[in-house]
Amino acid sequence: MAMKGIGECLSLLLMDLLLHLRYFRTVAEEQHFGRAAALLRMAQPSLSQRIQRLERELGVRLLDRGARGATLTPAGRLVLAETDLLLAAADRLAATVARVHSGAVGTLRAAVPPGLGATAVAALLTAFRAHSPGATLELRELPTADQTAELTAGTLDVGIVRHPCPAPGLAFGPTLHQPLGALLAAGDPLAGPPELPAAALTGRDLVLFPRAEAPALHDETLTACARHGCTPATVLAANGPDFTRGLVLSGGAVALVPRTPDEAGTVWRPLRGTPLTWRTSTAWPEGKDSPAVRLFTDTAHAVLREHADMRTAPSARMVFPRPASEFPL
Amino acid sequence: MTAHAAARRRITAAFADAGVTGLLHAVDIDTGTALGIGSDTLVPTASVHKLCLVATLYRQSSLGLIDPTRPVEIPAIPAEDRAPGATGLSVMRDAARLSLRDLASLAVAVSDNTAADLLWDALGLDTVNATMTGLGLTRTHAVQTMRELFATVREDAAGEPAALTDPAVVARLRALDPTRTNRSTPREITALLAAVWRDEVCAGEYGEELRALLGLQAWSHRLAAGFPFDDVRVSGKTGSLPTLRHEAGVVEYPDGGRYAVAVFTRAASTDVTLPAADAVIGGAARIAVDALRA
Repeated sequence: MAMKGIGECLSLLLMDLLLHLRYFRTVAEEQHFGRAAALLRMAQPSLSQRIQRLERELGVRLLDRGARGATLTPAGRLVLAETDLLLAAADRLAATVARVHSGAVGTLRAAVPPGLGATAVAALLTAFRAHSPGATLELRELPTADQTAELTAGTLDVGIVRHPCPAPGLAFGPTLHQPLGALLAAGDPLAGPPELPAAALTGRDLVLFPRAEAPALHDETLTACARHGCTPATVLAANGPDFTRGLVLSGGAVALVPRTPDEAGTVWRPLRGTPLTWRTSTAWPEGKDSPAVRLFTDTAHAVLREHADMRTAPSARMVFPRPASEFPL
Repeated sequence: MTAHAAARRRITAAFADAGVTGLLHAVDIDTGTALGIGSDTLVPTASVHKLCLVATLYRQSSLGLIDPTRPVEIPAIPAEDRAPGATGLSVMRDAARLSLRDLASLAVAVSDNTAADLLWDALGLDTVNATMTGLGLTRTHAVQTMRELFATVREDAAGEPAALTDPAVVARLRALDPTRTNRSTPREITALLAAVWRDEVCAGEYGEELRALLGLQAWSHRLAAGFPFDDVRVSGKTGSLPTLRHEAGVVEYPDGGRYAVAVFTRAASTDVTLPAADAVIGGAARIAVDALRA
């Protein structure tokens, strides 16, 4: 017979021990060799032999055999307690291995918000693949509200969300800021200078995403406009880059959007002093930052800074809570 | 009941429109008819728990267990650290002496955290909790005073005040976790208010004084904002923490209709100043009260 590797000997020994412990536990629970043998679907003499072998191996008597059944000895009670721990650990091990085989482990389910830009999405996929060749990244485009619902439901492992984002049950990576600028018709007088003050948009028709899509972000954006002296005449809702561009090209309207390549009669101009930003971060269910999730968040952070014009917080904003805010800062 | 379902849908839509998620329970104090959204969900109560505190003071007083006129010495700062806060004794500097019931007035009128903590010290967390249990409110439980609550906030924000507008920091505040801070449910808070208005917490002059005290709140940007009617009386107590805006109170109409309402919200935005999120508390309460009155 060929010599077995030491690892194989060890594993056979361990398997055997676990098996014998399962037999022992069944007898202890049933307090009867006959009933235990029936449960285990084996012959009673065979079960008795195996328990005796376990007792020999351990060097203690585990069970007292009487006419009415089998009862635990004091040593048997101690061994039973340890047996429960060992078998529970073995079950966990088996379950983990099963998950790896089923593919549940090794696939990361991730999402990005709409409008992140083709370059950023491509860079994210490429960079993740480069850093983790073994894992599969299942990437979808989902609005922030849908992402938080799926993260909570457990159908999504990690996402890139826009803030404000509801927080219960989630943990967030560092916040990145994406500056908003003005998308103007090429012939617009404001398109001349390389940048313009937010206040210059006062009285114009402003194009923004539909409020129902993210009411908190919509309000936050218009409040920031007001804070920087920009009071639009009206606010128009546009879903997607094509309709936005159409409204701008039709004359008069100005869209507030992140950096957009100049094309087909429109130009994008930054706002002076970066008064308006959209905040973005990675998000995952609290306490579930697996190595794959951490790899995704680190990769996303680098990619967003390089390819989506995002930056770390310019400087800490002043916050003056009013007395009715009730809590001090 | 379909009218109530329609009201619930409108309330949920109003919460979403204001950028918050919200829970609500409204009950007709005299008929017991109720309308709710997440009525039995455990919530961090923040300053709404001051309702339990002052109700306990008046119940103990009516039973002769404590004298509400008992004076409390308040040393000048920094003789003793006062609880953090933007109002009342928390911002005052010199020594003072106030009775327990006047501390209760401050705790309700301007959500004075120092006044509340002096009451917590005088009554004890256990007494307040036992009083709530005695009223059948088994899920209403206080585990900390205001200064202890804010100590966890400071710790979790690593002493960096601006961090309290950072979503990553706010997400991990223990003060927002109902299992680790003072807590209740929308249904139990309205049950407490209904009991106060039905003289079940304390009767006679104690009941009248307690109800008058609960009508002292200085701000009207939340619950009262939903009832801008001169002939409608709104009593209430707000509660706030980063992203949390609550108010629970009683709305009384001249025709005798009286309704206990509790609204608990959590905003997506971490901004401290969010008028729409404050106002939707009143808006949602009015939809609920109108449905109960229909």
